[in-house]
Amino acid sequence: MNLRKPWVTVVSVAVAVIAAACGGTGGGNNNSSSQTGTLTVWLMNGSAPQSVIDEVNADFKAKYPNVTVKVEIQQWSDVTTKLDTAFQGSTPPDVMELGNTLVAKYAAAGALLDITGKRAGFDNSATWLQSLTDSCTQAGKLYCVPYYAGSRAIIYRKDFFASAGVAPPDSIDGLLTVGQKLMTAHASDPNFSALYFPGKYWYGALPFVWDFGGDIATQSGGKWAGSLNSPSSQQGLTTLNNLVGKLSRADKTGDEAKQDAAFAQGHIAMIIANGWEVGVITDPKAGNPALKDQLGAFPIPSHNAGQTAPVFLGGSDLGISAKSKHQDLADAWIATLTGNKHMTEMATVGGVIPNTTSMLSLGTGINSTFYNAAKNSKFVPNSQNWASVESANVLPDMLVKIFTRQQDVPTATNAASARISTILNGGG
Amino acid sequence: MIAREAAQRVRAGRPHTKTQAATRIAVPRGLKQLAYDATGIAVAALMLFPIYWMVITAFKPGRDILTLEPKWFPAPFTLDNFKDAIARPFFLDDVRNSLVIVGVMLVLALAISFLAAVATARFGFRGRNAFLVMIIGVQMVPLNALIIPLYMLLDSAGQVDALPGVIAIYLAVVLPFMIWTLRGFVANIPVELEESAMIDGCTRVGAFFRITFPLVGPGLVATAIFGFIQAWNEYIIAYVLLSSPNNQTLTVWLASFTTNHGPEWGPLMAAATLTGVPVVAFFLILQRYLAGGLTAGAVKG
Amino acid sequence: MGLAIAPPDLGPALYQRFRRRLFPYALITPSVAVIAGILAFPLGMLVWLSLQHYGLRELIAHQGEWVGLGNYQAILTDPLFHQVIVRSLAFTFACVALTVGLSTLIAMLLLKVSNAVRVLLMSALVFVWATPVVVTVDIWQWMFDYEFGVINYLLTQLHLGNFIHHNWFDNPLQGWTVFVVIVVWGAIPFVTITVYAGLLQVPNELLDAAQVDGAGAWQRFRFVTAPMLKPIFLIVICLSTIWDFGVFNQIYILLNQRPSSDYYTIAIYSYRESFGVTQYGIGAAIAVLLVLILIVVTLFYVRETVRQAEIA
Repeated sequence: MNLRKPWVTVVSVAVAVIAAACGGTGGGNNNSSSQTGTLTVWLMNGSAPQSVIDEVNADFKAKYPNVTVKVEIQQWSDVTTKLDTAFQGSTPPDVMELGNTLVAKYAAAGALLDITGKRAGFDNSATWLQSLTDSCTQAGKLYCVPYYAGSRAIIYRKDFFASAGVAPPDSIDGLLTVGQKLMTAHASDPNFSALYFPGKYWYGALPFVWDFGGDIATQSGGKWAGSLNSPSSQQGLTTLNNLVGKLSRADKTGDEAKQDAAFAQGHIAMIIANGWEVGVITDPKAGNPALKDQLGAFPIPSHNAGQTAPVFLGGSDLGISAKSKHQDLADAWIATLTGNKHMTEMATVGGVIPNTTSMLSLGTGINSTFYNAAKNSKFVPNSQNWASVESANVLPDMLVKIFTRQQDVPTATNAASARISTILNGGG
Repeated sequence: MIAREAAQRVRAGRPHTKTQAATRIAVPRGLKQLAYDATGIAVAALMLFPIYWMVITAFKPGRDILTLEPKWFPAPFTLDNFKDAIARPFFLDDVRNSLVIVGVMLVLALAISFLAAVATARFGFRGRNAFLVMIIGVQMVPLNALIIPLYMLLDSAGQVDALPGVIAIYLAVVLPFMIWTLRGFVANIPVELEESAMIDGCTRVGAFFRITFPLVGPGLVATAIFGFIQAWNEYIIAYVLLSSPNNQTLTVWLASFTTNHGPEWGPLMAAATLTGVPVVAFFLILQRYLAGGLTAGAVKG
Repeated sequence: MGLAIAPPDLGPALYQRFRRRLFPYALITPSVAVIAGILAFPLGMLVWLSLQHYGLRELIAHQGEWVGLGNYQAILTDPLFHQVIVRSLAFTFACVALTVGLSTLIAMLLLKVSNAVRVLLMSALVFVWATPVVVTVDIWQWMFDYEFGVINYLLTQLHLGNFIHHNWFDNPLQGWTVFVVIVVWGAIPFVTITVYAGLLQVPNELLDAAQVDGAGAWQRFRFVTAPMLKPIFLIVICLSTIWDFGVFNQIYILLNQRPSSDYYTIAIYSYRESFGVTQYGIGAAIAVLLVLILIVVTLFYVRETVRQAEIA
C-alpha cells in the first residue's frame, strides 16, 4: 500500500479545491465519545416501513439525546459492490442490514464485529428463528442479530379452485392432480399456468429437494461435498421437473421477479411466493386490488400426505462493522429495532415475519400460512463461500438446463454438485 | 472582418447546404423525394419506438402496463406515476446534486480541455503525440475495474460521500474525450485568421481570444453535450461513493424503483422520462449550435 | 546551451522563445494533472492488484499476497476466458461494422430528406442519445420479455412466426443478436451526427464535377466522399471499438445482473470475478488483459488517428 501515500497529498489538494468550489459538503465525523456523535445505519430499500424507522429513532433519541442517527436506504442493484467497497474503506456504516446469505462471507472476511458476548442483551435471543441465527453464526461465534424473515408458501386463486372443483392439496401428488384439473378447466387459455414456476427460481425449488431428504451440500470433517446429485435430491428435482413441465407456462429461463405482476393479470392459479407478495399482487397501482378476496395460501406440500415441505428461510440480519467507532451505540440501536415493541410493528405494519418464534402467532389471516411455514425452514450451506456459489449462478443454471431439457437430471446435478463442492471448499 | 464572416458561416452550421439544396431541386423531385422522406420517417419511427414505449407507459395506470396484449396508447391516461415518482423522498435533493455535479464538472472540464485542445491543435511540441495517445488510451480502461482504487483514493482524501469526489472522478473520465473533440474544433479554425488579426495589431494572445475563442463556441457546446450525457447517466460510481440520501444523484434515485421483487414499471418509466428531460432540453436548446459545432469540428477528426 | 552564449541584449527575445516553447506545456498541465492525479493511482493499483491474491479478507485488511503472474496464468489457461475473448471480439466487430455502416447510410439520408423530415429524424436521434443507458436497457428488457414483450406480440401479429412465449436469451446466438441490436441502436445517434457533420463539409463542387465525369452514386461515395471523411471514420471506428469492446450495462442489467457465463463480455467477467466471487486479483488481471487486447486491436486506428491529427 506504499503506492498510496504520495498521491494522497496531491489529490487531497486537488479535491479540496473542488470542495471549496462546491461549498464543501461532506467530511466525516470522528467523535469518539460514546454518548455523542453520528451513528450511520444502512437499511435496504423496502425492508422497514419509514414509520417504524422514525419510531425506532425517536426511542433511541430518548436514550441518547446527543447522538444523531443517519439511516441511509441502500438500493439492491450492485449492493455487494457497495458493501465490499465500504467495508474496505475507513468509515463503513456502523450498522448494516445484510441479506442472510451474505453474512457468512463478510463475517469470515473480518468485516463484522463478533457480538457473541452481547447476545443475552437482545430481546428474544433465546427464541430467535433457528435458520436466521444459523446465518449469523460462524465457527460458533455470533456476528449479527436476526432482523426479519421471509418464508414461502403457495398463493392460489380461490375462484379458479372453486370453478374447477378442487381444494388445496396436502401432498405433492395432490398438487399435480389439482394442477392438471385446473389446466383442463382452462385449456382454452394459451397463457394459463396452474402453477407458475419460472426456471431460475431456486428458492422455490429447494423445498422439493429437502422434502425428499436431499440437500445442496453437506459438511464433514471441515470439507463440503455438493449433494444435489444424491438420489434423494435427484428425486426431488425430478418431481419438480414433472410439475413444471405439466403445469407451468412461465419462462423456463426467467426468474421470479415478475411473477406477482403476472399473477395479477389473471392467467395463473398458483405461485410459490413470500407472504408480502400478496400485497404486491393486490397493489392498486401495479397489481389488481380486485383479487384481494380471491387469494388464499397453503403450505408447499410434502410427498408424504398431510405433511409440509421444509422451505427456504430468506431474510435479513443486522451486523455491526468491525471498524465502527460507535460499537456500543450500534449495539443499542439494533437492540431498539429488534426489541419487542418494534419487532411487533415490523410484523403488523411491515408484514414481514419477525425474528422470533414467540411472535409467529402475530400472523393472521392469509399471513398465518407463511408464519407457520417459517417453523419448518432450512437454510443454504453456512459457508463463507456460499455467496460465490450464488454469484456463479450454479443453481439457476442447473434448473434451467433441467427444465429446458438441455440436460437430464443426473447430468445437470452432477455438474452442479461438482461446482458447488469446488467453490465451497475455497476453489474458484 | 474576415473573421466575423467565417464565424457566421461556422455558426450557420451548414455552409454548403444552400448550393446543395439548389442542385437537388434541379433533379426531378416527386417520387424520389417521397421515397427518401418515407425512409427517413421509417428510420425515425424505428429509433424512437423504445422511447415512445417508455413515455406512454409513464402515462398508463398500473394495470395497463404489463398486459399480454400491449396497449399502444395510454387510455385511460394518468399522471399518477409522475406524482408517485416525484413524491419519493429526496427527489429534489437528487435533482440538485445531479445538476451541481454535472454543472461544476462541465465548467471545469470545458476550461481544462480547451487549454489542452489549443496546445495540441496549435503547437508542435515534444510529447504531443504521447499526450494524444494517452488521451485515447485512458478511455480503454473499464471504469468498473477502478471502483475500489478510486474509492481508496477518495477515502484517503476524506472525500467519500461528498460531491467533490464524484466531480473529480467524472472530470477525469470525460476529459480525454472532450479534449479530443475540442482539439478537432480548434484545429479547424484557420490559423490565418489569427495571423491577419495580429497584422492588424493584436497580440497573439489577444488575437486568439478575439478571433479563435468565439469561433470555437459551437465546439464547446457540442463537447459540453457529450460530457453532460456521460456524467448525467453514470450510476455505479455515484452509488458506491454517495451514501447519504441527500447526497445522491438521479440515477441512484432511478435505481430505487427497482425493488427486490422487480421494477415498478409505471413509476420507473415516469422517473426515467423525468431524468431524460433535462438532457433533451439541454440538447434542444443548444442544438442550433451543435449542428454547426460538429460541422466545424468534425473534419479535422 | 543557447542561454549560456546569449548576449545580454538578446534576453527578451530568448525569453520570448523560451516562453513560447513552454507555453504548450503550460496549456496541457491542467489536464495532465487532473487525469494523472485522479487516474494514475487507480491504474497503478489495478496493475498491482492483478499481481496479488486478493480476496475479501485481504481487501478489508488491505494486505494481499504477492503471486506474481499467477493470476494471469490462471486466466490464460481458463477455457472460459478464451470463449469470452472470442465472443467479445466477434460482438465488437459486428457492432462496429453495423453502427458505422448504418450511421453512414442514415447520415446520407439526412442530406436527401426534406427539412421537416430532417428535423424529425434529428430529434429522434437526440432523444435516443439523451436517454440514460440504465433506462433504455430496462425498456429493451421489457420489450423482449418472454410473456409481456411487445416484440413477441408484434412479430406474431405480423405473421412472422409464432413468437408467443418466445425466449430470446435461451439460445446464446439469438441473445447476442439482441444485444447487437440494442448496442447499435444506442450508438447510432453519436456516429450518425458526427458523420453527417462531416458530409456537410464535402464541397459540392467536387461531387458535381465527379457527376459530370460520369461517376455513379457509389463511385462518388467511394472516390470523393469517403476519402474526405477518412479522419472521421478513423476516430469513430476507434471510439466505437473501445466502447463496444467494453460493453457492460446493456448485458448486465438486461440479464438482471446475473448473466450466465454464455453472456460474459470481458468487462462483465472482470466485474463478476471482483464483486461476485470476490477474487479482486483475478478481476484486476482480466481488466488489464482487456486493455492490452484493446491496444492490440486498435493499434492501427490509434496510430492513423494520431497521424491525421496534424497541427493546423
